[in-house]
Amino acid sequence: MDEARRARLTGWLRAAAGDPALAVEAMALLSGGAIQQNWALDVSGGRAWVLRTDNAATLAVSHGRAQEFSLLRAAFAAGVTVPEPLFLCEDSAVIGAPFFVMRRVGGTAAAHRVVRSETLGGGREACVRALGRELARIHTITPPRADLGFLGEPPADPCRAFVAEQRAALDRQRTPRPVLEWGLRHLERTAPPPMPPVLVHNDFRTGNIMLDERGVTAVLDWEFSVWSDPHADLGWLCAKCWRFGSDAQEAGGIGPRAALYEGYGTVEDARVRWWELGAHVRWASIAVDQAERHISGAERDLELALTGHMVPGLEWEILRMVEARDAA
Amino acid sequence: MLREEPRAADLLATAREVLLNELLPALPPDKAFAARMVASAMAIAARDAAQGAWEAEALARMGGDPRAFAAAIREGRLDPGTPDHARTAALLDDITRARCAVSAPRALGKG
Repeated sequence: MDEARRARLTGWLRAAAGDPALAVEAMALLSGGAIQQNWALDVSGGRAWVLRTDNAATLAVSHGRAQEFSLLRAAFAAGVTVPEPLFLCEDSAVIGAPFFVMRRVGGTAAAHRVVRSETLGGGREACVRALGRELARIHTITPPRADLGFLGEPPADPCRAFVAEQRAALDRQRTPRPVLEWGLRHLERTAPPPMPPVLVHNDFRTGNIMLDERGVTAVLDWEFSVWSDPHADLGWLCAKCWRFGSDAQEAGGIGPRAALYEGYGTVEDARVRWWELGAHVRWASIAVDQAERHISGAERDLELALTGHMVPGLEWEILRMVEARDAA
Repeated sequence: MLREEPRAADLLATAREVLLNELLPALPPDKAFAARMVASAMAIAARDAAQGAWEAEALARMGGDPRAFAAAIREGRLDPGTPDHARTAALLDDITRARCAVSAPRALGKG
């Protein structure tokens, strides 16, 4: 960030915080996601903040910064462990794109480190029990909510709505995907009955949850949240494709599924399993879209290119899951 | 053969060994991830170059039109209990096995 932007940012933060003497003492780009930039701000008075803003190329399916700020506020108020949201700036003239500022929390989210650790999050069982409690708190947020109006009309039947959305996503892609269709058709044939939708984080997985040795320090990355079946979040966390090689630990590669369910409360296991298949289809479709950003030339990038080569492995898993579920 | 050897698969495999055994240990830690991605891309490209032809046969087995085939699956015309279900499941397995052989051999329990 250049000097002019930094000066404008400091001026804006002074007004927002009501502190005319506020100074940004240090600013460093944190290793962020493919979609956002996160900056660590050290602010006078010992204040440790994070500034979150958009990258150049943004996925159409993710919420903007203003929406993410509203989600963070709703989650914070519901008692979910999230960084406290502080200020939102929707004016692109300040640093070049809208941004928000939240308190900085400690811990690590690095998935491969998390699944290998016996102690992070307070140990495997305690950690997934805590993750279950976090999800239960998220799911206390229910429609209608004026502050979350951008999430749109809650679906009458979340499972069928998911199948319809995934099919629409496939219809936007360049090539047909018979195996993903196979998975979606199975999901349609076996969809559980409708249930009242709640706020679903929709990317609640290892890698998006910050942990330290004592427990969960922050649930991050709210930009995909939707009104849906609460079991969608449990299925996404438990899906084999999000265990980072630690397959025996069914809850996110971190700990046992039973402890996650205990922490959560009441769980319909069959619904979670339905959403686990859905998770493989959805992740495969996202991976296709990411590779397409490289292939189309919109963003030439080796990591995006390699993401496309995850699709066949996800498809193999989808075929095995459908086969096992049809045989059961 | 008129083309000079070694061919793509050999060159990529040999170059990958150099990358992983000689270059990676000498790189600063913040470049290790990029180097591993390069090695991964070279492995995929080498398997791709070495793979025999299978697409024409697979296309023929799905009736020549992947879009129509995908639509038939969506519409339930190849569901369990239909005459073509077992044949379709076998075809999807064969296609996906061939795709994984290049992209994700570990998914098949190999590599």
